[in-house]
Amino acid sequence: MTDLVIDSGEMNAAPTREAWRMFVRNKAAVGGLIILIGVILMTYLGPLFYDQDPTRIVARPIQGPGTEDAPLLGTDYLGRDVLAGVINGGSTTLRVAAVAALLIAFIGMTIGALAGFYGGWVDNLLMRFTEIFQVLPALLFSMVVVALFDPTPTTISIAIGIVLWPQLARLTRAEFLRLKNLEFVKAERAIGATDRHIMFKVILPNAFPPLIVAFTLVMGSAILFEAYLAFLGLGDPNELSWGLMIGLNRPTFLTSWWTITFPGLAIFLTVLSLSLIGDGIQDAYNPKLRGR
Amino acid sequence: MKRNNTLQKFFALLLALALVAAACGSSDDGDGVASGGDDDTSVAADADGGEAEPEEAEPEPDAEPEEETDPDDQQAIDTELDEEELEEIGSDDVEEAAPADGDPVPGGTLVLGSTQVPRHLNGAVQSGYATAVPGTQLNASPLLFDDEFNPQPYLAESWEVAEDGLSVTLNLVEGAVFHDGVPITSEDVAFSMITARDNHPFKPMFAPVTEVETPDPLTAIVRLSQPHPAILLAMSPGLLPIIPKHIFDDGQDIATHPRNTEDFVGSGPFRLTEYEAGSIIRMEKFEDFFIPERPYLDEIIIEITPDPNSIVLGLENGTTHVSASMGSAANILRLQDNPDVIVTAQGHEAIGQVTWLEFNVEDPVLSDARVRQAIGYAVDRDFLADVIQQGTQFPQATGIVEASPFYNDDVEKYDVDLDAARALLTEAGYADGDISLAVDYIPPGQQADAEYIVQALQDIGIDAELNVSPDFPTWAARVAAGEHQLTVNNVWNWGDPVIGVHRTYLSTNRVGAIWTNNTGYTNDEVDSLLEQAGQTFDRDERIALYGDFQEIIADEVPIYFLTNPPFWQAINPSVQNPSVGIWGLMSPMLDVWIAE
Amino acid sequence: MRAIATRVAWSLGLLLAVIVLNFTLIQLAPGDAAVVLAGESGAGDPEVLEQIREEYGLNDPFINQLGSYVGKVATGDLGESFFFNQPVTELISARIWPTVLLVGTALIFAIIVGIGVGVYTARRPESGSSHALTVLALVGFSMPVFFTGLQLVILFSSVLGWTPVQGMRDVRFEGNWLQSQLDVAVHLILPAFSLALLYLAQYSRLSRASMLEVLQSDFVRTARAKGLSEQVVVYKHALRNAVIPVVTVAGLQFGSLLSGALVVETVFNWPGLGRLAFDAVLRRDAPVLLGVLFMSAVLVLIVNLLTDVVYRLIDPRIRVGGSSA
Repeated sequence: MTDLVIDSGEMNAAPTREAWRMFVRNKAAVGGLIILIGVILMTYLGPLFYDQDPTRIVARPIQGPGTEDAPLLGTDYLGRDVLAGVINGGSTTLRVAAVAALLIAFIGMTIGALAGFYGGWVDNLLMRFTEIFQVLPALLFSMVVVALFDPTPTTISIAIGIVLWPQLARLTRAEFLRLKNLEFVKAERAIGATDRHIMFKVILPNAFPPLIVAFTLVMGSAILFEAYLAFLGLGDPNELSWGLMIGLNRPTFLTSWWTITFPGLAIFLTVLSLSLIGDGIQDAYNPKLRGR
Repeated sequence: MKRNNTLQKFFALLLALALVAAACGSSDDGDGVASGGDDDTSVAADADGGEAEPEEAEPEPDAEPEEETDPDDQQAIDTELDEEELEEIGSDDVEEAAPADGDPVPGGTLVLGSTQVPRHLNGAVQSGYATAVPGTQLNASPLLFDDEFNPQPYLAESWEVAEDGLSVTLNLVEGAVFHDGVPITSEDVAFSMITARDNHPFKPMFAPVTEVETPDPLTAIVRLSQPHPAILLAMSPGLLPIIPKHIFDDGQDIATHPRNTEDFVGSGPFRLTEYEAGSIIRMEKFEDFFIPERPYLDEIIIEITPDPNSIVLGLENGTTHVSASMGSAANILRLQDNPDVIVTAQGHEAIGQVTWLEFNVEDPVLSDARVRQAIGYAVDRDFLADVIQQGTQFPQATGIVEASPFYNDDVEKYDVDLDAARALLTEAGYADGDISLAVDYIPPGQQADAEYIVQALQDIGIDAELNVSPDFPTWAARVAAGEHQLTVNNVWNWGDPVIGVHRTYLSTNRVGAIWTNNTGYTNDEVDSLLEQAGQTFDRDERIALYGDFQEIIADEVPIYFLTNPPFWQAINPSVQNPSVGIWGLMSPMLDVWIAE
Repeated sequence: MRAIATRVAWSLGLLLAVIVLNFTLIQLAPGDAAVVLAGESGAGDPEVLEQIREEYGLNDPFINQLGSYVGKVATGDLGESFFFNQPVTELISARIWPTVLLVGTALIFAIIVGIGVGVYTARRPESGSSHALTVLALVGFSMPVFFTGLQLVILFSSVLGWTPVQGMRDVRFEGNWLQSQLDVAVHLILPAFSLALLYLAQYSRLSRASMLEVLQSDFVRTARAKGLSEQVVVYKHALRNAVIPVVTVAGLQFGSLLSGALVVETVFNWPGLGRLAFDAVLRRDAPVLLGVLFMSAVLVLIVNLLTDVVYRLIDPRIRVGGSSA
């Protein structure tokens, strides 16, 4: 699984315009952005152009791509259209991952912000709580949650959300620790701004760069986790997703590599694009790493 | 800028490489698929022929010469599946593919790949394939059965069923000992049978046994409360392993007894040398086995792996010799195309597995027989067998399998007819979209069947979707409690209908456990037919009774039968005398040897 | 020393919290443990079910059940598997070494190769190969590990026949101890590599970042100005700084490695804790699940502790104990 390794120490709150310009000059990052946009377009506009229902049986099972009378990317173990599956599967995968990522962001950032800002016993308590979840084996724990409580997209998002937030919490906390003693924050305090205002309107925006990077990686992890859970048999069979396609076709993959390769590539490209973008953002904000 | 162009090029190359690798890495599969396609078309072309098959097979049971009601012969039938049918589904004939020439050579290690995990090794208290495969190597039983379902001597060198059918006398062979050297006596037989009667999930098997007398160490007399035609078959190695009384009769609960796995002492041709729960079961030849010069094999290793694909790869490269766990129709076809592996549907006839769609008749919508019949007309079992299962399964229209003498083909089949289906629904008062149904299935293997059924239901205007259970216990608990509406299921005949068939239909067997009467179906006539058929040794009478029973079931459709999946077995050609008898791999490998 | 004692004490408290959390979770789940315990045989009989409930204390109030479980764990008794009726400790101890072997090998491989790649790319930050390696590392991270695993199995085991298909050892194997270890090693290649691929990315980027920072630091510039050879500069001073963060992170990531191991063990049928746990989830075998969750937490804590020790040894600048930031 992935851990967030963000070198945030040197990420200045460089003006967004400057950062954007750095980002755009990074071909890999732009490539990632293009891929991600492509994936999103395919997922949400694709069905308009290719409106095959991915759950209907359309031909004989296990026909390879390019077989006569078979859909373009072949059929799976039931005789369903793989291309339709790839196009439509993204929406479930992305939805589950996005909800999970938002959950992670919410829990992680809240806990991290509170711990970093207030310090003292609050920090101690929250960090101990975080450690409990850090010590649990993430995938196994989310498997247990899904298996015990029925695999629906909601349960899966929750199961993923509750295991991947610790690192984001730590990162947020580190950022808050770093930023809270800076001049401009002290100035806000001096003029009597409330804690909440300082935390969310002053510090947080400045902490965005590393947090955005972290968020892209978290999104990638969530996508991978959804795939792992589905692969291991814990997806919702009524909602086709990329991971589920791979999982369902695993018993036949020796004779039907395309049923696994295409959804696998979809997952891979999506996660890769998110990583490239995250990398790009990190480089854009961090002059030191510019020597690449 | 130079560096970015290189990056882009490399990236594109990488992607291309990945795709190429994926394509090349499975080029064999490409071939497999192509010829798989051909097989499919030939099967499709024969689909009509397939339907005609059962009628051709039917005359055979009637061609049996014996007419007298000899209890010993009451099971004698010709169980060889029609050759044409076997060829149609691509089954190799074992004798043709690997004739056992030459004399058996003692020695050798046989590796068996399985996906089934046994809880422990004591088959007297646990049913199922997972326990029986190792169990039948480790434990002997009073009787063996040949290809015609005739009992043969094993631990019992002779036996006699009384005239009135109320007792069976077993005469044990002399000099048989357990793996720890203690002699096997009638006390052990008595202990084993009573234990099975009281603990084994298949209650009907030994329920009529009132006691087992042991007048001397080599004689056991089984007393029955009523004539029990299934009693002999119930003494097969997989159903009545003879376990050591001196080890298990110590007051501990036998279902959780530590000796069920630890230092297991058995009565069979092989003894346990290594047991790693869920992983490996290693057994070596028992030198003091009571049949001289048997077994031939030195060692049997059961390798348990959850992924049937690994087993398939192992079969292909020869590291696994034998397996019945190939996992999917696609894998079966792939192995069929491999000249180095024999893939056969022969054997395991006594298992008689039936995949079916069962209804919860207490559900308000499904309590109306017309709705059930409509669903019957909507689901195309031939499509299921030929396309979804790629021709590796036989369509099945009744609850008793064709290999059994009691099979009745002359029943209402509900061949696919969408118009009739819709008409019935209308008659029952339902319009399109009025009905909502959730279809359950045994995870994960039956998903394909269930998905197809969901679509078939949608085609007649029923709002259907899958109800997913993440694991077997969840599904079993749900169905046992009657919380489902319909479920795909897989139930075995287990040789004699008394053992495997009655349990589904008897109104008295509604006990809230899986694989009992989970439909809620009650029919007094059916109850009485089954009871009578279970109490007489007269085969013709039984054929008539079971015949009527099947007709009623077909009319009322508490269950819509789908297919009879043969028990496919993959065998390495070096294995001689492979286990393709009526119990298949659930029988002791006494005569198996390996030709190098 | 005192710091370590506090750490250990704290870790025990953490373990307790983990146990409580997991136990509660499993109790909350719908479904009847008695039914699972009864299996096929007694599930239908309400009397049998009640008997089972009494025997296993399933009718006791939640607090009592929790208390008794914690008490048992404290004495080293993790209960008995619902499915196998064998002590959980036995099942776990049979599986723990394979997982440690798998994860350890993958980790070491990822660290060594990752640092190698990181150092190499840090010294030649503009070269094509440097970019290629970065991309490759990202690719390894973005590929679902079962996907990589499956493709590797097809390529190396099925098509090329170079590596075994699955498992940890050849069941038919007969030979001396050394040959047996070699057999395991051959089986270890693909699974460990699949797992390592995931972390290669991070370690190479991490070490590269550290290297770059160090190479541009005053300290190194001074060393160069003094005329010390490039080799010395890089390998003595900079490298040490590159290693530290990688080792730290690697140690902290042990927990997530166990997750990856779960998938790898399932794909390659590696007989480790991951597979045991996976099977237990599918069978609702609560004692085994609780046991594995507990043992994983223990392993993670031990590794964290070790990492801390190693960290302090490597980096003499760190002396102050206290909360880890």
